[in-house]
Amino acid sequence: MSQTPTSIIKACHQSSGLEIRPDLTAAHAHVWEKLAAPGTWWDGTERLAIAKVVRTALEDPDPTPPWVSASSTGRLAHSSVLSSQLQDAIYRLTRHAGTLTEDWYLSMRDATAITHQQWVEVIDVVISVASVLRFAQLAGIDRPEFPTALDGEPSRQEQPSKPANHHWVPVVHLEDMTPELEPFYKGLPVIAPVIRALSSVPAAMDTLSVLSNAQYIPNREMVDLNWSRGNLSRRQMEFVAGRLSAHRECFY
Amino acid sequence: MMLRASSSVNDLELDLSLVRGEASENEAVQHAPALANLVDSSVNDLETLSTARAALVDVSDEETMIDACAVVANFEMMTRIADGTGTRHPPERLDAIGDISHSLGLDQFTSARI
Repeated sequence: MSQTPTSIIKACHQSSGLEIRPDLTAAHAHVWEKLAAPGTWWDGTERLAIAKVVRTALEDPDPTPPWVSASSTGRLAHSSVLSSQLQDAIYRLTRHAGTLTEDWYLSMRDATAITHQQWVEVIDVVISVASVLRFAQLAGIDRPEFPTALDGEPSRQEQPSKPANHHWVPVVHLEDMTPELEPFYKGLPVIAPVIRALSSVPAAMDTLSVLSNAQYIPNREMVDLNWSRGNLSRRQMEFVAGRLSAHRECFY
Repeated sequence: MMLRASSSVNDLELDLSLVRGEASENEAVQHAPALANLVDSSVNDLETLSTARAALVDVSDEETMIDACAVVANFEMMTRIADGTGTRHPPERLDAIGDISHSLGLDQFTSARI
């Protein structure tokens, strides 16, 4: 019998000998449970194929430059469910996100025929894999293997997303909050642009929320500039965040 | 920038060049050199990562090291969300961070959609 997604994460964390916070293990287990299950616009096999491109890009010791098609170099396994153009886009988002432009985004959508919402779900998979695998690498624990793809159809759940001033992708504005977005919107006077960026796919908002709460700061604690779990101070957290973001050449 | 805000709320002086340049010991960010070394190793030189991890544990403790690794993982996420969706700051926010982004050279990034 194959391991469950949660048992894969727990086994890696427990065998490390480190005292990893239970909420952090639970957050990584949560996104691993979703990783190869049917999503909103991609099925489990497609989501797993996206995840494999992300892993290849993250672990590539000699990455292609941003302007080179990774699939043309033979480093990406042929996929029966993803086009080579989409594989290239996933590789570039994973490895060279800071180089993306709106022109690139428009060209990529033309080449792949991907919808905005499908792209947001691609980002959902990218951030799940990047978070879990990079944490494992940094902490020096075993790399969790991917779960097995689950059968089933995507939910294709639409949201009332609209074109946005601060994003390439449409977003759901606060005044258009749906029941699916209530856990992430309700009670907040404003939603930061980077938080509502994924709002056209609530399942991606769930990934962001669960991971941020455990890896960084719960969204509702953001306003407390001295918030801490007792180990890393808020200023130390922001220093690490700023330095990593500068390395990634992320202006936002 | 949250680092500036979380320092000024405690009346602590902070040279923000710490974020991109050499990180020295300072009152505002405890163990800045060891934290910077962990982040830099994780991006630039994986061969030195275990040494960087051990050095951070030496000056702090294992829980702090794990939390630092988790924050790096989180911003591996946030940077890809921002740059994958073309997220940009509202104009009033851009005005507020204009001095920092210019002095640190952040406005030269391709991702500076300003």
